[in-house]
Amino acid sequence: MTEEFNLSQMERETEEMLKIRYLTKHNTVFKRTEGGFVSLSVGEESYSRIQVIRMFPFMEKDRFISVRSVGDKSKEIGIIEDLKDMEKETVQLLTEQLNLRYFTPVITKIRSVKEEYGFAYWDVITDHGECRFTIHMGGNAVVHLTEERILLSDIDENRFEIPDVGQLTPAERRKLDLFL
Amino acid sequence: MELLYQLTDKNIELLTLAQGEKICYCFPLDLDREGNFRDNSYTVVTDQRILLLEEGSCTKAYRLSELEKVVSEPQISSGILYVVTNGKEEILGRYSAKHLTRYSYIMRGCLLLQRGEKERVISSEYETACLICGRALPGTKECPKCTGKKEGLVSVFLTLIKPQWKLLCVILLLMLTATAVTLANPAIQQHLMDDVLIGNKGNVQTAVLCLGLMFVMSLGIVFANAGKSYLCSKLGSRISAGLRKELYVKIQLLSLSFINERSPGELMNRILYDTGRVREFMGETFCNMFTIIILFAADALLMLILDWKLALLAFIFAPVAVFLSTSLRKYIRKIFHMQGEKADKVNSGLQDAISGMSVVKSYGQEERESEIFDRNTEEYAKVQRNNEVFFAVVYPFIGFVLEAGVYLVIYFGGVSVLNGRMTPGRLFQFIVYTALLYQYIGWLTNMPRMLMNMVTSMERIGDVLKQEPQIFDREKAKYHKIQGNVEFDHATFGYKSYEPVIEQINFKVKPGEMIGIVGASGAGKSTLINLVMHLYEVDDGEIRVDGENIMDIRLSDYHSQIGVVLQETFLFSGTILSNIRFARPEASYEEIIRAAKMANAHDFICRLPDGYQTYVGEKGHNLSGGERQRVAIARAILNDPRILILDEATASLDTESEYLIQKALQRLTSGRTTFAIAHRLSTLKDADRLIVIDGHRIAESGTHGELIEMKGIYYSLVKAQLMMQENEN
Repeated sequence: MTEEFNLSQMERETEEMLKIRYLTKHNTVFKRTEGGFVSLSVGEESYSRIQVIRMFPFMEKDRFISVRSVGDKSKEIGIIEDLKDMEKETVQLLTEQLNLRYFTPVITKIRSVKEEYGFAYWDVITDHGECRFTIHMGGNAVVHLTEERILLSDIDENRFEIPDVGQLTPAERRKLDLFL
Repeated sequence: MELLYQLTDKNIELLTLAQGEKICYCFPLDLDREGNFRDNSYTVVTDQRILLLEEGSCTKAYRLSELEKVVSEPQISSGILYVVTNGKEEILGRYSAKHLTRYSYIMRGCLLLQRGEKERVISSEYETACLICGRALPGTKECPKCTGKKEGLVSVFLTLIKPQWKLLCVILLLMLTATAVTLANPAIQQHLMDDVLIGNKGNVQTAVLCLGLMFVMSLGIVFANAGKSYLCSKLGSRISAGLRKELYVKIQLLSLSFINERSPGELMNRILYDTGRVREFMGETFCNMFTIIILFAADALLMLILDWKLALLAFIFAPVAVFLSTSLRKYIRKIFHMQGEKADKVNSGLQDAISGMSVVKSYGQEERESEIFDRNTEEYAKVQRNNEVFFAVVYPFIGFVLEAGVYLVIYFGGVSVLNGRMTPGRLFQFIVYTALLYQYIGWLTNMPRMLMNMVTSMERIGDVLKQEPQIFDREKAKYHKIQGNVEFDHATFGYKSYEPVIEQINFKVKPGEMIGIVGASGAGKSTLINLVMHLYEVDDGEIRVDGENIMDIRLSDYHSQIGVVLQETFLFSGTILSNIRFARPEASYEEIIRAAKMANAHDFICRLPDGYQTYVGEKGHNLSGGERQRVAIARAILNDPRILILDEATASLDTESEYLIQKALQRLTSGRTTFAIAHRLSTLKDADRLIVIDGHRIAESGTHGELIEMKGIYYSLVKAQLMMQENEN
């Protein structure tokens, strides 16, 4: 259970962390596991399960994806610069994994927003279906990613996105007034 | 937190439970594999199986005995549940952040079931929303709205004001007087007009008498109201002071686990803000509540008696006024909220720019920063301007409409007077009553909100007061003079029941021994020490001091015999003297000086402008880390503890003060049972024995030499630190 402490090995590892390794369709094989996760072999290395992380989750949904090993000491295996340069099946596989990891429903229609005793109760339709959620009136429940783009966090820390306030109907905008 | 949702009979049928199979946990599985929201889907754990119910059918079922483990893995604002069989991971389903915390209990829950243990995981965490009505819970266990109805506001109220009943009686008397006088005054006015002034029926004497009476009554109203307000404020202050005291005492009593689950800000809010709200309610709302309700009812009744037709006419506008004033209030709140938001934005922008001025300047970004600021101020100014316009221009119009009922009365009453069906005095009286009625409508529509605020605050206060301290003296707890034997016997503990931090810890310490505790951060070193300090109680196993179960020793006695020196020394606002004296307020000056000398603190204290009486703490003289440490050591020495705890006491100090502190610590620890945690292993070289914690358990133990020989974890840690030092040199 003990690893002999080795300074040069430690230095090597630190050096390695500096490198940017790009994963491309030529140097990788991604495979779906039976249980619904994804495995990866890259060169000599193979990983029975990997996870994918967006480095710029709000701006670049399909670019700069960090592919990492799983577990407490998760390490970066490499970076996919642009998902669309990968094989078609890989894109599908990884998109599935990304969707599994990131859950931010986009609000397409605001049915009602009711305020009561410091909380706002929302009834909306999202791209993931109908949803009711509650946000705190004070505090940082509403974040403006840009002038038009809004991110809402409810009391359970579910997140909802309104990609463009300008696209809402005037009636919906009026309901939003309190938060803009 | 609910870990066992109730299933419908139909759903239970789908599970096809075996004879004697019981449902132990049940959580909603509110997302499908694509992440779409759905209802009627659950993860069910029985004492034998884990099953998925998805929209009216049982889609998956596993025997727990065949699974390695069940894992809930948090993702970004959602989570996934998977099982591991033969090293293979299989996704079962997804859930939204609403159930993230709930699912974190499933792993431990299944583990206990797999081991065949009877124990079930229970969550003491609170729901974020009421499971019955869906309203968000303001940090309370129970929903103020749902339980508020059950328990009844009245009873909450009565318990609150019971001790102040004398004061309350006076207030009620004043309330009745104010009401009676307010209603009687217009009647006198009517008499004056009809029987004295009109048609020269009376004489000057009666007129003066009426006027005098009116004057006295008006004066009476003023005095009654002033007295009432004064006494209500007094009542409110008394009640909230009482609550504050009770809360503070309770929070001191409660175990650290309750405190640690909540932020200091939240607890401070409960003590200051929530009790403040109760005071506000008593002073402002309560004081007027009864007066206005009685007045309102009596006023309406009087109007009906005087002229029921005209009264009904006057009432016609009441619903409109109620509606108007509610929506007006909503609107005003909204525009104020908006103004507040914009002001916040300007303020925080300003604060950012000013505190980061050196960065802004060094990167030459002044212009961009001013542009951002300009934009924010302009927005703020715009909102503010609109609000001012509203209050100056629109508001009076609305006020006019709000009182439209009065004009209706004037018109129809006026017609009646002209037709001789009503006297002018009566009409005047009627108008005054109508005006009173409308005046109070606005106030009454605001009452539910104020009541709710108060109930919420009471709930949050009650929530703390209702907590049972988890650590308290057992009945047979007694005084015990500590010799210094400490024994851990299969001790297991976790801050959350599903996450043990240390498991099955066994070791014995003899009096005067110094034990060094080594391990990675988060391994459970500090937890072990918290258990020695009896700040928490073990979940399983026992800790014995001199052969006595730690739980059988009276807490205050135990704590008075323990000394603690931590990495970050906390000094209370006060003098150095009072800080050293903290544990033994009766210590003499000589004892204090002796302790300070032993702690190598005497010298620097004497160099301070006010010596031992130098003010330290939040707003006081700034002591360096090493100086504070030495004050803490002096505090510990003065207390003459039998068991001593050093948690990273020498970390982050410069070499010179470290030497002084090492010396001081050596004096302090000699002859006392000592538990010391240190990252820098060289500081533990004096320890009689070392314990290495890894993976929640004791991985290695022995003297420095023995552990080095073992070539285990300790050996590689020491080697690593040595190499780092060599590299630095």
